[in-house]
Amino acid sequence: MILSRLGSSVKAVDDVSFSVSPGETLGLVGESGCGKSTTGRCIIRLLEPTSGSVQFEDSDVRKLKGKRLKAFRRDVQFIFQDPYASLNPRMTFGEIMSEPLVIHGIGTRKEREKRCKEMLEVVGLSPEHIHRYPHEFSGGQRQRVGIARALMLRPRMIICDEPVSALDVSIQAQIINLLEELQNEFGLTYLFIAHDLAVIRHICDRVAVMYLGKVVELGGWKAVYNTPNHPYTQSLLSAVPVPDPQKQRQRSRIILKGDVPSPIDPPTGCRFHTRCPIAQFPICSEQEPPLDEVAIGHRAACHFAKDFPIAGDSIP
Amino acid sequence: MPPVLEVDDLHMHFFTRDGVVKAVDGVTFTLQAGETLGVVGESGSGKSVTALSIMRLVPEPPGKVVSGDIRFKGQSILAMEEKEQRALRGNRIAMIFQDPMTSLNPVYRIGKQIAEPLRVHKDMSKADAWAAAVKLLDQVGIPQAEERARHYPHEFSGGMRQRAMIAMALACGPDILIADEPTTALDVTIQAQILELMVEIQKNTDSAIIMITHDLGVVADMADHILVMYGGKPVEYGRADEVFYGPLHPYTWGLLESLPRHDVDDKGALCPIKGQPPSLITLPSGCAFHPRCAYAQSTCKSKVPPLVEIADGHLSSCHFAGDPQFVAQFTDGACYVGEDAPGGRS
Repeated sequence: MILSRLGSSVKAVDDVSFSVSPGETLGLVGESGCGKSTTGRCIIRLLEPTSGSVQFEDSDVRKLKGKRLKAFRRDVQFIFQDPYASLNPRMTFGEIMSEPLVIHGIGTRKEREKRCKEMLEVVGLSPEHIHRYPHEFSGGQRQRVGIARALMLRPRMIICDEPVSALDVSIQAQIINLLEELQNEFGLTYLFIAHDLAVIRHICDRVAVMYLGKVVELGGWKAVYNTPNHPYTQSLLSAVPVPDPQKQRQRSRIILKGDVPSPIDPPTGCRFHTRCPIAQFPICSEQEPPLDEVAIGHRAACHFAKDFPIAGDSIP
Repeated sequence: MPPVLEVDDLHMHFFTRDGVVKAVDGVTFTLQAGETLGVVGESGSGKSVTALSIMRLVPEPPGKVVSGDIRFKGQSILAMEEKEQRALRGNRIAMIFQDPMTSLNPVYRIGKQIAEPLRVHKDMSKADAWAAAVKLLDQVGIPQAEERARHYPHEFSGGMRQRAMIAMALACGPDILIADEPTTALDVTIQAQILELMVEIQKNTDSAIIMITHDLGVVADMADHILVMYGGKPVEYGRADEVFYGPLHPYTWGLLESLPRHDVDDKGALCPIKGQPPSLITLPSGCAFHPRCAYAQSTCKSKVPPLVEIADGHLSSCHFAGDPQFVAQFTDGACYVGEDAPGGRS
């Protein structure tokens, strides 16, 4: 799957390729502005990529029109970050959840109501909540309704864009467990977009790390977290403090200098070279490193991927 | 010498049309010079209101300190005249807010904003204050500080704005630095820079830091002592290691257990705390945590547990915290889960 998008001269996502297998969870992780959300939106064509292609099963998503596009959107659903902004405050939970069914002309009014009630139970709410409004509920409960809405059409794949980052810690764990349960129950495939490395590690089978519109490292979760090959991945992992004071005191941190450069005018060569602790010149500022295989199923886009010592502290 | 800050059974309530919101209900702690206190809790637990109360920045009405006291170096802040309070604020006690974009004034140059506390509190001339501001910007790691001081907030990135906020808070060399979620709006690589900067500053100035956050990783990194809040009340207080490795309150334990970790290989289901955080207007009776607590008994429903010292310097407000057998349950690996939290190991 190749996506690239050229907005008003912002290359938000530039030459990104990955695949997701059925039943798997692929994590997209990176800092703000790295293009992870844009990638998610391009896949379901909430944004139209400038070039590249998206394959879903046998069809080329970018060429879909009319009925077939509608069918695709039934199969691939989206869960949004903000449970306050993504539910219409003037609709009841029942109306919110049955809207996808109405659009796709599924069921009678009675049948739809029955399905809403069932789905509310599936996501851990009570069927009586069907006539209630979003403002009556907390963030975690609303996010459950956002998840229920995404499940109404029995999709095969769900793109989760930061589904837990707006929630309190104790509620986060509830929603993560719910998403995992639903995956097992319905055989769902997830593309899980988040900036929280711990959440990504917990829920994902494979992880793609993005920086300034590019995938810099891609591999199984164990490989990416235990033997990160790209200096950016290593810096990210070392920057996140662990909730364990003694361990945290012993960890050495790689502190990156400066800020993420603007995607309007990204650095030449390797985009990370301006902040990279091991950059060598001129190669890093002139040549863009390809996303090469460093081990089976593990790719990294760094000229020195194999040479860089692994920051052992964060790795058990 | 008295501690630099004592908060003594503080009750800050808001009198609203919908009822009395007991935002802070009985918070007690002391802060020594050079110490970092981590205040942890979920949204609505009263941690920010506690900070604003110390700064005397809670609008009254609707807010009102119903009882309790806040003492700065032994002297009651609440009893002070407005003028004396103003002399402390931004001078001896300074605050860093979560969102540096909304807490900097967009129409003034960064340098002028950093110079302002110096003009007000230190009576510096314009030129001196400006020069000091440039020096402060340099200290917090802003390159080309002289030029940058002439910029406006919108020309700064998020991390740089937060550095500017820190420079402003540090301008007068405060005894207490209150940081309310200072890195929550920032990316992790920038967060690491800011935390590093705060540690360095503390080393050089010996100021005390109150670090308010929901991120237990940040607390583990920074704090000497930890105060855990729930529903406006302190539920646990102690040295960081004690709270992390031997929590004495089921809520603290639940929080620690519900975290996914990026440094351990466990992929088992997480252990969430069941239910939702309470509304501060209609707090549950007795212990506010009892509806979500897996170990709750009938006493918990009827009696409000006081915050008592269980071990040396380690306080808990659980009725059963003094019972070693009860506390041992926390560490036996059983999952802390209830019927409406799907997915837990039950």
